[in-house]
Amino acid sequence: MFAEENGLHGDPRIKAISDAIRVVPHFPKPGIMFQDITTLLLDQKAFKYTVDIFVDRYKEKKISVVAGVEARGFIFGPPIALAIGAKFVPLRKPRKLPGEVISEAYVLEYGTDCLEMHVGAVQAGESVLIVDDLVATGGTLSAAIRLLGKELEVHCSSSSTIILDQINNIYIFEHVFLERVGADVVECACVIGLPQVKGNWTLNGVPLYVLVEPRLNDLGHFGDGGFV
Amino acid sequence: MDTLKIFNSNVVIQRFFYSGNFVNQLKLTALSFSSTCPKKRSISASTAPVGTGGRHFHTAASNHRNTSCFSHMAAPTSDGHKEDVKDDRISRITSAIRVIPDFPKPGILFQDITTLLLDPVAFKDTIDLFVERYKDKDISVVAGVEARGFIFGPPIALAIGAKFVPMRKPNKLPGAVISQEYSLEYGTDKIEMHVGAVQEGERALVIDDLIATGGTLCAAISLLERVGVKVVECACVIELPDLKGRDRLGDKPLFVLVS
Repeated sequence: MFAEENGLHGDPRIKAISDAIRVVPHFPKPGIMFQDITTLLLDQKAFKYTVDIFVDRYKEKKISVVAGVEARGFIFGPPIALAIGAKFVPLRKPRKLPGEVISEAYVLEYGTDCLEMHVGAVQAGESVLIVDDLVATGGTLSAAIRLLGKELEVHCSSSSTIILDQINNIYIFEHVFLERVGADVVECACVIGLPQVKGNWTLNGVPLYVLVEPRLNDLGHFGDGGFV
Repeated sequence: MDTLKIFNSNVVIQRFFYSGNFVNQLKLTALSFSSTCPKKRSISASTAPVGTGGRHFHTAASNHRNTSCFSHMAAPTSDGHKEDVKDDRISRITSAIRVIPDFPKPGILFQDITTLLLDPVAFKDTIDLFVERYKDKDISVVAGVEARGFIFGPPIALAIGAKFVPMRKPNKLPGAVISQEYSLEYGTDKIEMHVGAVQEGERALVIDDLIATGGTLCAAISLLERVGVKVVECACVIELPDLKGRDRLGDKPLFVLVS
Protein backbone atom coordinates (compact mmCIF):
# COMPACT_ATOMS: atom_id res chain seq x y z
CA MET A 1 0.00 0.00 0.00
CA PHE A 2 1.05 3.57 -0.50
CA ALA A 3 1.66 5.88 2.44
CA GLU A 4 -0.96 8.26 1.07
CA GLU A 5 -3.66 5.59 1.31
CA ASN A 6 -2.78 5.00 4.91
CA GLY A 7 -3.00 8.20 6.89
CA LEU A 8 -0.55 10.36 4.98
CA HIS A 9 -2.87 11.71 2.30
CA GLY A 10 -1.85 15.28 1.52
CA ASP A 11 1.22 15.10 3.72
CA PRO A 12 3.66 17.61 2.17
CA ARG A 13 6.57 15.38 3.07
CA ILE A 14 5.48 12.86 0.44
CA LYS A 15 5.68 15.45 -2.32
CA ALA A 16 9.06 16.66 -1.05
CA ILE A 17 10.37 13.11 -1.20
CA SER A 18 9.00 12.50 -4.68
CA ASP A 19 10.39 15.77 -5.99
CA ALA A 20 13.82 14.99 -4.60
CA ILE A 21 14.17 11.80 -6.63
CA ARG A 22 15.90 12.19 -9.96
CA VAL A 23 14.83 10.34 -13.09
CA VAL A 24 17.66 9.25 -15.38
CA PRO A 25 16.39 8.08 -18.77
CA HIS A 26 17.74 4.97 -20.46
CA PHE A 27 19.76 3.65 -17.52
CA PRO A 28 20.97 0.94 -17.27
CA LYS A 29 19.40 0.15 -20.65
CA PRO A 30 17.35 2.01 -23.27
CA GLY A 31 13.73 2.33 -22.28
CA ILE A 32 14.27 2.28 -18.53
CA MET A 33 13.53 5.50 -16.61
CA PHE A 34 15.86 4.98 -13.65
CA GLN A 35 14.59 6.35 -10.32
CA ASP A 36 17.74 7.76 -8.75
CA ILE A 37 17.51 8.20 -4.98
CA THR A 38 20.97 9.76 -4.65
CA THR A 39 19.42 13.20 -5.08
CA LEU A 40 17.08 12.41 -2.19
CA LEU A 41 20.19 11.77 -0.06
CA LEU A 42 21.52 15.21 -0.98
CA ASP A 43 18.37 16.84 0.37
CA GLN A 44 18.76 16.57 4.15
CA LYS A 45 15.14 17.45 4.85
CA ALA A 46 13.66 15.00 2.36
CA PHE A 47 15.98 12.19 3.45
CA LYS A 48 14.99 12.82 7.07
CA TYR A 49 11.29 12.82 6.15
CA THR A 50 11.76 9.44 4.44
CA VAL A 51 13.32 7.88 7.53
CA ASP A 52 10.83 9.58 9.88
CA ILE A 53 7.80 8.26 8.02
CA PHE A 54 9.09 4.69 8.20
CA VAL A 55 10.13 5.04 11.85
CA ASP A 56 6.70 6.41 12.82
CA ARG A 57 5.06 3.44 11.17
CA TYR A 58 7.29 0.74 12.67
CA LYS A 59 8.39 1.95 16.08
CA GLU A 60 5.46 0.38 17.97
CA LYS A 61 5.37 -2.83 15.98
CA LYS A 62 7.94 -4.76 18.08
CA ILE A 63 10.20 -5.35 15.13
CA SER A 64 13.51 -6.82 16.20
CA VAL A 65 15.24 -7.06 12.82
CA VAL A 66 15.56 -4.67 9.88
CA ALA A 67 17.00 -6.48 6.85
CA GLY A 68 18.38 -4.31 4.04
CA VAL A 69 19.03 -5.47 0.51
CA GLU A 70 22.46 -4.56 -0.88
CA ALA A 71 23.34 -1.85 -1.63
CA ARG A 72 20.68 0.87 -1.51
CA GLY A 73 18.82 -0.97 1.25
CA PHE A 74 21.97 -0.33 3.31
CA ILE A 75 21.29 3.41 3.08
CA PHE A 76 17.68 3.38 4.33
CA GLY A 77 17.70 0.33 6.60
CA PRO A 78 20.27 1.31 9.29
CA PRO A 79 18.73 4.70 10.19
CA ILE A 80 15.36 2.96 10.64
CA ALA A 81 16.93 0.14 12.67
CA LEU A 82 18.77 2.59 14.93
CA ALA A 83 15.63 4.63 15.57
CA ILE A 84 13.43 1.64 16.45
CA GLY A 85 16.11 -0.24 18.40
CA ALA A 86 16.29 -3.19 16.02
CA LYS A 87 19.23 -5.18 14.69
CA PHE A 88 20.34 -4.44 11.14
CA VAL A 89 20.98 -7.47 8.94
CA PRO A 90 22.54 -6.96 5.51
CA LEU A 91 21.32 -9.19 2.69
CA ARG A 92 24.18 -9.39 0.22
CA LYS A 93 25.29 -10.59 -3.18
CA PRO A 94 27.20 -13.89 -3.15
CA ARG A 95 30.61 -14.19 -1.49
CA LYS A 96 30.55 -10.81 0.22
CA LEU A 97 29.58 -12.01 3.69
CA PRO A 98 32.36 -13.85 5.53
CA GLY A 99 31.63 -16.97 7.51
CA GLU A 100 28.59 -19.19 7.22
CA VAL A 101 25.68 -18.00 5.13
CA ILE A 102 22.34 -19.23 3.85
CA SER A 103 21.36 -18.25 0.33
CA GLU A 104 18.35 -17.91 -1.92
CA ALA A 105 18.44 -17.75 -5.70
CA TYR A 106 16.07 -15.66 -7.78
CA VAL A 107 15.36 -15.18 -11.45
CA LEU A 108 16.38 -12.09 -13.43
CA GLU A 109 15.29 -11.14 -16.90
CA TYR A 110 18.34 -13.00 -18.17
CA GLY A 111 19.81 -15.54 -15.81
CA THR A 112 19.69 -15.77 -12.04
CA ASP A 113 21.18 -14.04 -9.02
CA CYS A 114 21.47 -14.90 -5.38
CA LEU A 115 21.00 -13.21 -1.98
CA GLU A 116 22.89 -14.31 1.13
CA MET A 117 22.39 -13.80 4.86
CA HIS A 118 24.56 -14.77 7.79
CA VAL A 119 23.68 -17.93 9.67
CA GLY A 120 22.66 -16.91 13.17
CA ALA A 121 21.86 -13.28 12.34
CA VAL A 122 18.15 -13.87 12.77
CA GLN A 123 16.49 -16.24 15.24
CA ALA A 124 13.42 -18.30 14.49
CA GLY A 125 10.23 -16.37 15.11
CA GLU A 126 11.78 -12.87 15.16
CA SER A 127 9.75 -10.06 13.57
CA VAL A 128 11.48 -8.68 10.52
CA LEU A 129 11.10 -5.59 8.31
CA ILE A 130 12.76 -5.77 4.88
CA VAL A 131 13.92 -2.47 3.37
CA ASP A 132 14.97 -1.57 -0.16
CA ASP A 133 14.90 1.66 -2.18
CA LEU A 134 12.52 0.48 -4.90
CA VAL A 135 10.21 -2.42 -5.71
CA ALA A 136 9.58 -3.18 -9.38
CA THR A 137 8.94 -6.81 -10.28
CA GLY A 138 9.39 -7.86 -6.67
CA GLY A 139 11.93 -10.53 -7.61
CA THR A 140 14.61 -9.36 -5.19
CA LEU A 141 12.18 -8.76 -2.33
CA SER A 142 10.58 -12.17 -2.86
CA ALA A 143 13.98 -13.75 -2.59
CA ALA A 144 14.63 -11.78 0.60
CA ILE A 145 11.30 -12.94 2.06
CA ARG A 146 12.07 -16.55 1.20
CA LEU A 147 15.57 -16.21 2.64
CA LEU A 148 14.26 -14.89 5.96
CA GLY A 149 11.50 -17.47 6.13
CA LYS A 150 13.91 -20.30 5.48
CA GLU A 151 14.10 -22.81 8.21
CA LEU A 152 16.28 -21.54 11.00
CA GLU A 153 15.37 -24.31 13.40
CA VAL A 154 13.77 -27.70 13.01
CA HIS A 155 11.75 -28.95 15.94
CA CYS A 156 11.36 -32.70 15.87
CA SER A 157 9.10 -34.84 17.92
CA SER A 158 7.66 -38.27 17.45
CA SER A 159 5.10 -40.66 18.69
CA SER A 160 5.12 -44.38 18.17
CA THR A 161 2.61 -47.11 17.77
CA ILE A 162 3.67 -50.63 18.65
CA ILE A 163 1.71 -53.54 17.43
CA LEU A 164 2.16 -57.17 18.22
CA ASP A 165 0.55 -59.61 15.86
CA GLN A 166 -0.68 -63.10 16.43
CA ILE A 167 2.59 -64.73 15.54
CA ASN A 168 4.64 -62.46 17.77
CA ASN A 169 5.90 -60.14 15.13
CA ILE A 170 6.37 -56.65 16.50
CA TYR A 171 5.58 -53.67 14.33
CA ILE A 172 6.74 -50.24 15.42
CA PHE A 173 5.27 -47.29 13.54
CA GLU A 174 7.03 -44.03 14.30
CA HIS A 175 5.35 -40.79 13.39
CA VAL A 176 7.97 -38.09 13.16
CA PHE A 177 6.76 -34.49 13.15
CA LEU A 178 9.07 -31.82 11.80
CA GLU A 179 8.30 -28.21 12.53
CA ARG A 180 10.27 -25.75 10.45
CA VAL A 181 10.50 -22.29 11.93
CA GLY A 182 11.82 -19.27 10.11
CA ALA A 183 11.57 -15.61 10.91
CA ASP A 184 8.29 -13.71 10.59
CA VAL A 185 8.51 -11.05 7.89
CA VAL A 186 6.03 -8.40 8.98
CA GLU A 187 6.30 -6.01 6.02
CA CYS A 188 8.53 -4.79 3.17
CA ALA A 189 9.21 -1.07 3.08
CA CYS A 190 10.37 0.74 -0.06
CA VAL A 191 10.72 4.39 -0.91
CA ILE A 192 9.46 3.87 -4.49
CA GLY A 193 6.98 1.32 -5.84
CA LEU A 194 5.02 0.72 -9.00
CA PRO A 195 1.31 1.66 -8.85
CA GLN A 196 0.23 -2.00 -8.72
CA VAL A 197 1.23 -2.19 -5.05
CA LYS A 198 -1.78 -0.04 -4.08
CA GLY A 199 -4.30 -1.46 -1.65
CA ASN A 200 -3.77 -4.86 -0.14
CA TRP A 201 -1.18 -6.08 -2.57
CA THR A 202 1.14 -8.62 -1.00
CA LEU A 203 4.33 -10.35 -2.06
CA ASN A 204 4.58 -13.98 -0.92
CA GLY A 205 1.89 -13.08 1.61
CA VAL A 206 3.86 -10.12 2.99
CA PRO A 207 2.37 -6.61 2.70
CA LEU A 208 4.34 -3.78 1.10
CA TYR A 209 4.51 -0.19 2.30
CA VAL A 210 5.69 2.34 -0.25
CA LEU A 211 6.07 6.14 -0.13
CA VAL A 212 5.96 7.30 -3.77
CA GLU A 213 5.40 6.12 -7.32
CA PRO A 214 8.09 6.31 -10.00
CA ARG A 215 8.09 9.48 -12.06
CA LEU A 216 8.46 9.53 -15.79
CA ASN A 217 10.33 12.78 -16.16
CA ASP A 218 12.90 14.71 -14.28
CA LEU A 219 12.42 18.02 -12.50
CA GLY A 220 15.85 19.42 -13.36
CA HIS A 221 18.18 18.12 -10.72
CA PHE A 222 21.88 18.82 -11.04
CA GLY A 223 21.32 21.35 -13.85
CA ASP A 224 22.78 19.91 -17.04
CA GLY A 225 25.53 17.94 -15.42
CA GLY A 226 23.58 14.96 -14.30
CA PHE A 227 22.05 13.57 -17.43
CA VAL A 228 23.22 10.77 -19.68
CA MET B 1 11.77 -50.04 6.82
CA ASP B 2 14.10 -51.65 9.32
CA THR B 3 13.67 -55.23 10.31
CA LEU B 4 15.35 -56.60 13.41
CA LYS B 5 15.29 -59.87 15.18
CA ILE B 6 14.66 -59.62 18.90
CA PHE B 7 13.99 -62.68 21.03
CA ASN B 8 12.88 -64.70 18.01
CA SER B 9 10.38 -62.08 16.97
CA ASN B 10 10.64 -60.10 13.82
CA VAL B 11 10.52 -56.43 14.60
CA VAL B 12 9.59 -54.14 11.78
CA ILE B 13 10.15 -50.40 12.22
CA GLN B 14 8.50 -48.02 9.80
CA ARG B 15 8.89 -44.26 10.07
CA PHE B 16 6.42 -41.73 8.70
CA PHE B 17 7.66 -38.14 8.38
CA TYR B 18 5.30 -35.22 8.55
CA SER B 19 6.55 -31.74 7.87
CA GLY B 20 5.06 -28.30 7.70
CA ASN B 21 4.62 -25.32 9.91
CA PHE B 22 2.84 -26.48 13.01
CA VAL B 23 1.75 -23.72 15.30
CA ASN B 24 1.92 -25.84 18.45
CA GLN B 25 5.23 -27.21 19.48
CA LEU B 26 4.89 -30.94 19.75
CA LYS B 27 6.58 -32.51 22.70
CA LEU B 28 8.75 -35.58 22.48
CA THR B 29 6.94 -38.67 23.60
CA ALA B 30 8.57 -41.63 25.13
CA LEU B 31 7.56 -44.76 23.28
CA SER B 32 3.80 -44.70 23.67
CA PHE B 33 1.22 -47.26 22.91
CA SER B 34 -1.67 -46.42 20.68
CA SER B 35 -4.85 -48.39 20.68
CA THR B 36 -5.80 -47.45 17.18
CA CYS B 37 -4.73 -50.01 14.67
CA PRO B 38 -7.07 -51.22 11.99
CA LYS B 39 -5.63 -54.62 11.28
CA LYS B 40 -3.71 -56.08 14.14
CA ARG B 41 -4.32 -56.66 17.80
CA SER B 42 -2.45 -53.95 19.63
CA ILE B 43 -0.89 -53.71 23.03
CA SER B 44 -2.98 -51.17 24.77
CA ALA B 45 -1.77 -48.64 27.23
CA SER B 46 -2.32 -44.99 27.83
CA THR B 47 -2.92 -42.95 24.74
CA ALA B 48 -1.71 -39.67 26.11
CA PRO B 49 1.85 -39.03 25.08
CA VAL B 50 4.32 -38.47 27.87
CA GLY B 51 5.94 -35.23 27.04
CA THR B 52 9.42 -34.59 28.19
CA GLY B 53 10.11 -31.57 26.06
CA GLY B 54 10.73 -31.12 22.39
CA ARG B 55 13.74 -32.75 20.91
CA HIS B 56 15.11 -29.88 18.95
CA PHE B 57 17.37 -30.57 16.06
CA HIS B 58 19.00 -27.32 15.36
CA THR B 59 20.19 -26.92 11.84
CA ALA B 60 23.52 -25.28 11.34
CA ALA B 61 21.60 -22.05 11.16
CA SER B 62 20.81 -21.78 14.82
CA ASN B 63 23.88 -23.47 16.21
CA HIS B 64 26.33 -20.98 14.93
CA ARG B 65 25.83 -17.95 17.06
CA ASN B 66 28.39 -15.27 16.85
CA THR B 67 29.30 -15.65 20.50
CA SER B 68 32.30 -17.81 19.79
CA CYS B 69 33.96 -15.50 17.35
CA PHE B 70 34.39 -12.24 19.18
CA SER B 71 37.48 -10.33 18.40
CA HIS B 72 39.81 -9.86 21.30
CA MET B 73 41.62 -6.88 20.02
CA ALA B 74 44.25 -4.80 21.69
CA ALA B 75 43.12 -1.86 23.78
CA PRO B 76 41.38 0.54 21.44
CA THR B 77 42.86 3.91 20.68
CA SER B 78 40.90 6.99 19.86
CA ASP B 79 42.02 10.54 19.65
CA GLY B 80 43.12 10.54 23.28
CA HIS B 81 39.92 11.18 25.22
CA LYS B 82 39.73 9.16 28.39
CA GLU B 83 36.17 9.61 29.64
CA ASP B 84 34.87 6.43 31.25
CA VAL B 85 31.63 6.46 29.35
CA LYS B 86 33.44 6.65 26.04
CA ASP B 87 35.78 3.81 27.04
CA ASP B 88 32.80 1.62 27.90
CA ARG B 89 31.31 2.30 24.53
CA ILE B 90 34.56 1.51 22.75
CA SER B 91 34.93 -1.81 24.60
CA ARG B 92 31.42 -2.81 23.73
CA ILE B 93 32.02 -1.91 20.10
CA THR B 94 35.31 -3.80 20.04
CA SER B 95 33.71 -6.91 21.54
CA ALA B 96 30.92 -6.80 19.01
CA ILE B 97 33.24 -7.10 16.03
CA ARG B 98 33.83 -10.64 14.82
CA VAL B 99 37.09 -11.90 13.32
CA ILE B 100 36.81 -14.48 10.56
CA PRO B 101 40.09 -16.18 9.67
CA ASP B 102 41.12 -16.89 6.10
CA PHE B 103 38.52 -14.71 4.43
CA PRO B 104 38.51 -13.80 1.58
CA LYS B 105 41.85 -15.60 1.22
CA PRO B 106 44.04 -17.78 3.45
CA GLY B 107 46.09 -15.73 5.89
CA ILE B 108 43.69 -12.80 6.12
CA LEU B 109 41.84 -12.15 9.40
CA PHE B 110 38.63 -10.48 8.25
CA GLN B 111 37.13 -7.89 10.61
CA ASP B 112 33.40 -8.50 10.33
CA ILE B 113 31.24 -5.57 11.42
CA THR B 114 27.95 -7.35 10.78
CA THR B 115 27.94 -8.59 14.37
CA LEU B 116 28.25 -4.98 15.51
CA LEU B 117 25.06 -4.24 13.56
CA LEU B 118 23.31 -7.03 15.47
CA ASP B 119 23.92 -5.20 18.75
CA PRO B 120 21.64 -2.14 18.63
CA VAL B 121 23.36 -0.51 21.61
CA ALA B 122 26.86 -0.94 20.17
CA PHE B 123 25.73 0.21 16.72
CA LYS B 124 24.12 3.30 18.21
CA ASP B 125 27.26 3.98 20.27
CA THR B 126 29.36 3.78 17.10
CA ILE B 127 27.22 6.39 15.38
CA ASP B 128 27.05 8.57 18.50
CA LEU B 129 30.84 8.64 18.84
CA PHE B 130 31.19 9.93 15.29
CA VAL B 131 28.30 12.39 15.61
CA GLU B 132 29.70 13.84 18.83
CA ARG B 133 32.99 14.46 17.08
CA TYR B 134 31.61 16.04 13.91
CA LYS B 135 28.39 17.80 14.75
CA ASP B 136 29.96 21.21 15.36
CA LYS B 137 32.58 21.04 12.64
CA ASP B 138 30.46 22.66 9.91
CA ILE B 139 30.48 19.56 7.75
CA SER B 140 28.03 19.63 4.87
CA VAL B 141 28.99 16.37 3.12
CA VAL B 142 29.38 12.81 4.40
CA ALA B 143 30.81 10.62 1.64
CA GLY B 144 30.48 6.86 2.19
CA VAL B 145 32.31 4.19 0.25
CA GLU B 146 30.28 1.27 -1.12
CA ALA B 147 29.01 -0.87 0.48
CA ARG B 148 29.80 -0.87 4.20
CA GLY B 149 30.31 2.89 4.16
CA PHE B 150 26.60 3.07 3.22
CA ILE B 151 25.72 1.54 6.58
CA PHE B 152 27.59 4.03 8.78
CA GLY B 153 27.51 7.18 6.63
CA PRO B 154 23.77 7.95 6.36
CA PRO B 155 22.98 7.81 10.10
CA ILE B 156 25.88 10.21 10.73
CA ALA B 157 24.78 12.50 7.89
CA LEU B 158 21.20 12.60 9.16
CA ALA B 159 22.33 13.41 12.70
CA ILE B 160 24.67 16.24 11.73
CA GLY B 161 22.44 17.67 9.00
CA ALA B 162 24.79 16.89 6.12
CA LYS B 163 24.23 15.44 2.67
CA PHE B 164 25.11 11.81 2.10
CA VAL B 165 27.11 11.11 -1.08
CA PRO B 166 27.65 7.49 -2.08
CA MET B 167 30.97 6.56 -3.66
CA ARG B 168 30.36 3.52 -5.81
CA LYS B 169 32.00 0.81 -7.88
CA PRO B 170 31.93 1.50 -11.63
CA ASN B 171 28.67 1.55 -13.59
CA LYS B 172 26.36 1.65 -10.58
CA LEU B 173 25.62 5.38 -10.45
CA PRO B 174 23.33 6.58 -13.22
CA GLY B 175 24.07 9.80 -15.05
CA ALA B 176 27.34 11.71 -15.27
CA VAL B 177 30.07 10.65 -12.89
CA ILE B 178 33.72 11.34 -12.18
CA SER B 179 35.95 8.39 -11.41
CA GLN B 180 39.22 7.69 -9.68
CA GLU B 181 41.37 4.66 -10.21
CA TYR B 182 43.40 3.17 -7.38
CA SER B 183 45.78 0.27 -7.07
CA LEU B 184 45.10 -3.03 -5.38
CA GLU B 185 47.54 -5.73 -4.38
CA TYR B 186 47.03 -7.15 -7.88
CA GLY B 187 45.64 -4.77 -10.45
CA THR B 188 43.50 -1.69 -10.05
CA ASP B 189 39.95 -0.71 -9.18
CA LYS B 190 37.85 2.41 -9.57
CA ILE B 191 35.33 4.37 -7.55
CA GLU B 192 32.85 6.91 -8.89
CA MET B 193 30.92 9.91 -7.61
CA HIS B 194 28.10 11.86 -9.22
CA VAL B 195 28.94 15.07 -11.00
CA GLY B 196 27.14 17.87 -9.18
CA ALA B 197 26.67 16.00 -5.91
CA VAL B 198 29.08 18.31 -4.11
CA GLN B 199 29.99 21.96 -4.59
CA GLU B 200 33.35 23.67 -4.46
CA GLY B 201 34.16 24.86 -0.96
CA GLU B 202 32.04 22.34 0.91
CA ARG B 203 33.55 20.58 3.91
CA ALA B 204 33.44 16.78 3.80
CA LEU B 205 33.92 13.71 5.92
CA VAL B 206 34.82 10.39 4.27
CA ILE B 207 33.45 7.28 5.97
CA ASP B 208 34.19 3.59 5.61
CA ASP B 209 33.97 0.62 7.98
CA LEU B 210 37.67 -0.14 7.91
CA ILE B 211 40.99 1.31 6.69
CA ALA B 212 43.60 -1.21 5.57
CA THR B 213 46.16 0.04 3.04
CA GLY B 214 44.23 3.28 2.57
CA GLY B 215 43.90 2.87 -1.19
CA THR B 216 40.12 3.22 -1.32
CA LEU B 217 40.07 6.18 1.06
CA CYS B 218 42.76 7.97 -0.93
CA ALA B 219 40.73 7.52 -4.09
CA ALA B 220 37.66 8.92 -2.32
CA ILE B 221 39.61 11.94 -1.05
CA SER B 222 40.92 12.51 -4.54
CA LEU B 223 37.45 12.54 -6.06
CA LEU B 224 36.30 15.18 -3.59
CA GLU B 225 39.40 17.37 -3.84
CA ARG B 226 39.28 17.35 -7.63
CA VAL B 227 35.99 19.26 -7.45
CA GLY B 228 37.24 21.71 -4.83
CA VAL B 229 35.83 20.12 -1.67
CA LYS B 230 37.81 20.28 1.56
CA VAL B 231 38.16 16.85 3.15
CA VAL B 232 38.17 17.61 6.86
CA GLU B 233 38.76 14.06 8.09
CA CYS B 234 38.47 10.36 7.27
CA ALA B 235 36.54 8.30 9.78
CA CYS B 236 36.53 4.51 10.13
CA VAL B 237 35.28 2.09 12.73
CA ILE B 238 38.42 -0.07 12.46
CA GLU B 239 42.05 0.56 11.54
CA LEU B 240 44.57 -2.15 10.68
CA PRO B 241 47.70 -0.26 11.74
CA ASP B 242 50.19 -2.76 10.29
CA LEU B 243 49.00 -1.93 6.80
CA LYS B 244 49.99 1.72 7.26
CA GLY B 245 46.89 3.24 5.74
CA ARG B 246 47.28 6.26 8.00
CA ASP B 247 50.62 7.08 6.36
CA ARG B 248 49.14 6.73 2.91
CA LEU B 249 46.55 9.39 3.79
CA GLY B 250 49.40 11.80 4.29
CA ASP B 251 48.20 15.11 5.68
CA LYS B 252 44.57 14.03 5.88
CA PRO B 253 43.58 13.28 9.47
CA LEU B 254 42.17 9.87 10.30
CA PHE B 255 39.84 9.11 13.19
CA VAL B 256 39.10 5.50 14.17
CA LEU B 257 37.29 3.85 17.04
CA VAL B 258 39.11 0.51 17.16
CA SER B 259 42.61 -0.39 16.08
